[in-house]
Amino acid sequence: MIGILGLGNIGKIIADDLGKTYKGKVVYIVRNKDSVKELAKKYNATIRYGDVTKPHTLINSLKGLKVVIHAVHHEYNVNIMKACLKTGTHYLDLGGLYHYTKKQIKLDKNFRKAKLTAILGIGAAPGITNMLAKYGSEQFDDIKNIEILLGSEDLSTYKQKPPIAISYSIQTILQEFTQKPAVFKNGKTVFLEPLTGRKEYTFPDPVGMKKPQYTIHSEIATLPYTLKAKNVSFRIAFDDEFVDTIITLKRLGFLTDKEIKIKENKINVRRMMIEVLKRLPEPVPEKLHQYEIIRVIMEGTKEGRYKQITLDARVEGLNETIDKDTAVPASIAAQMIDKGEIVAAGAWPPESILPKEEFFKELAKRKICIYMNEQRIN
Amino acid sequence: MKFDFVVLGATGEQGKIASKDLLKKGYKVLLCGRRSSEIKDLLRNKNARFAYLNVRDIKKTAGTIKKSGAKIALNCVELRLNLLVMEACLKAGVHYLDLGGLQEMTVEQYKQSKAFKKKKLTALLGCGSTPGIANVMAKHTAEQMDSIEHVDLGFGWDSNIKEFVMPYSIESIIYEITTEPVVLEGSKFVKNRTCYYEGMSKLREVGKQQIYCIVHSEVYTFYKYFKNKGIKSVHYTAGFPEHSHKVLKLLIGLGLGSKDKINVDGKEIKVLDFTREVLKIAEHPKNYKEIENVWVNMKGTKQNKEKTTLMECITKTIKGFEFAGSNINTGMTISIMAQLLKKGLINATGVNAPEACVPCKEFFEELANRKIYIYQDGTKIN
Repeated sequence: MIGILGLGNIGKIIADDLGKTYKGKVVYIVRNKDSVKELAKKYNATIRYGDVTKPHTLINSLKGLKVVIHAVHHEYNVNIMKACLKTGTHYLDLGGLYHYTKKQIKLDKNFRKAKLTAILGIGAAPGITNMLAKYGSEQFDDIKNIEILLGSEDLSTYKQKPPIAISYSIQTILQEFTQKPAVFKNGKTVFLEPLTGRKEYTFPDPVGMKKPQYTIHSEIATLPYTLKAKNVSFRIAFDDEFVDTIITLKRLGFLTDKEIKIKENKINVRRMMIEVLKRLPEPVPEKLHQYEIIRVIMEGTKEGRYKQITLDARVEGLNETIDKDTAVPASIAAQMIDKGEIVAAGAWPPESILPKEEFFKELAKRKICIYMNEQRIN
Repeated sequence: MKFDFVVLGATGEQGKIASKDLLKKGYKVLLCGRRSSEIKDLLRNKNARFAYLNVRDIKKTAGTIKKSGAKIALNCVELRLNLLVMEACLKAGVHYLDLGGLQEMTVEQYKQSKAFKKKKLTALLGCGSTPGIANVMAKHTAEQMDSIEHVDLGFGWDSNIKEFVMPYSIESIIYEITTEPVVLEGSKFVKNRTCYYEGMSKLREVGKQQIYCIVHSEVYTFYKYFKNKGIKSVHYTAGFPEHSHKVLKLLIGLGLGSKDKINVDGKEIKVLDFTREVLKIAEHPKNYKEIENVWVNMKGTKQNKEKTTLMECITKTIKGFEFAGSNINTGMTISIMAQLLKKGLINATGVNAPEACVPCKEFFEELANRKIYIYQDGTKIN
């Protein structure tokens, strides 16, 4: 029995993937049961009430589940892992934005002791990124650089578009724009200023030229150690207009983590801003057509000679969003645990525990294509 | 202490400017507001005192004004509260001045005219830059014409550093940008499209500006006071530099101008209150300076000949008032008009706009004393 904790945008796509590919029972854990009634009916899933901010409801909702995919915000990662230890549930999440991942790794011993598996960050990035790096690592004796780059292009036409296009959790995006990004440089983790490293890079068509920037990401918390790389960086490209908007909001003070007084109330500015942005109308597409490239460039030596390889995951969303690349890896990994294909106890990053060939094979079934040096490999 | 003036909303930007100007002239001023911490500097002046006041409490406001001994109250609070302050002034039996009420509020405010007349009190509406200086400039020109056909007016401004700084009250801007403007066409008030783009305009000292038709009270009051000269049309346009207009549109587009309440951590917060408070904290860039041109272009006849006159008021950031950019012309104008009223140079009773009763010469002279200059057809006249 696999549970999905949180049925937001990504949670719903996970539910869809499990509904189409998993034979066992699926449980949706939500605060508002009515919000997923139709989806549960479609896939014959069970709905349980659970609120990540209320530990007793969380523990009750996890009881009896073999695996849970946590698709709520990453600030709850550690608490949910602890709840899983109490209920004997294997755990997967979609990432911990570096700092949370570091804390989560410390629960490795507890998961080993409980003979449970926790996979930290099994979405697109982290997730597919880690697996591409793992695949590439076998081409080297010694890895000097791992450079991760993400770029996407929205070719859709819209009937209605909000003034700011938010492609994933606005809370995460704001953290990525305001927290200092970690970069692993010459064997050490350094923290740069937010929004640095933004320079032109040309991805294959149809993504084309973008300006990826460093952001805080959990790959930097694991890849330098698991793959023994000297340099690891992560950059993601946002549209110029989007970046301008976020920079403007930041400069005007709308993204500060500080409290301000409004009449008799004190509130956190960023929390309020997130609530304001959540009210924006959803884009109404006429025709959805999105494309994303998750790229990992690796440099190092093999048998004493310099070598460079480029690995891509290419995702085309025709009449569907490219968000499936974040959702389906978790569905695939959860099913692997359920089937007993992953049995190692402990808290692991994907590259340390997932079988890469099988994982890529499953991605191919979902039209997520993996390339090495422009050659399709799945 | 018996006061000369009461300033309501003295802790806001315009209230601070007006209070500073009055204190500089040696008047005794009671500064009313809710956050005395905002005006620590002003309260160091021996002629200044602070009174905590929420103008929604009309009875308390009237009591505070009456007790102050002042005969003139300057209303520098948000325009939606104008009627409440007028009522408090009537109760207290004092003259009233405000910074404008756009069209809707202005129309409502004129309904109080009889009550002010009955008590032989003056209520002077729109004593800022525009409305305010613009109205006196229109009066100056109208006095030189036999008939008036058409008036175009508005403002445009720019800054030396192209970074967004809140130009004036966020509430007023949102209202102006999101409300269908009323224009005078063929002696009739008609609605125009919201923030309708009217093209480029070249303004003295400011340069090229994109101008937009917005709602403003002058359209209403010019017709009221100049219809005897046959005025047929009035258009009001606002010119924002591109970098500022872009951000304003973004803030509104993101919903930051909404009056809805949002629940955050169990607290109900009005979005617009949040936006205003956040923007207050944002500091001006270093060495930031502004320049503004408030203009009135009047077309009419003099001795049966066509005549067109362009009046312009140029305001630059001045030393000691850097926090307000070119907005000093708003707070300083209400201070000047209050002083003219105290000196008996404004004596019309009832509700009036500046074009009805403010003496042009004396007013322009006072503006010049504050480095705010008036041009008529390109020639400086003050």
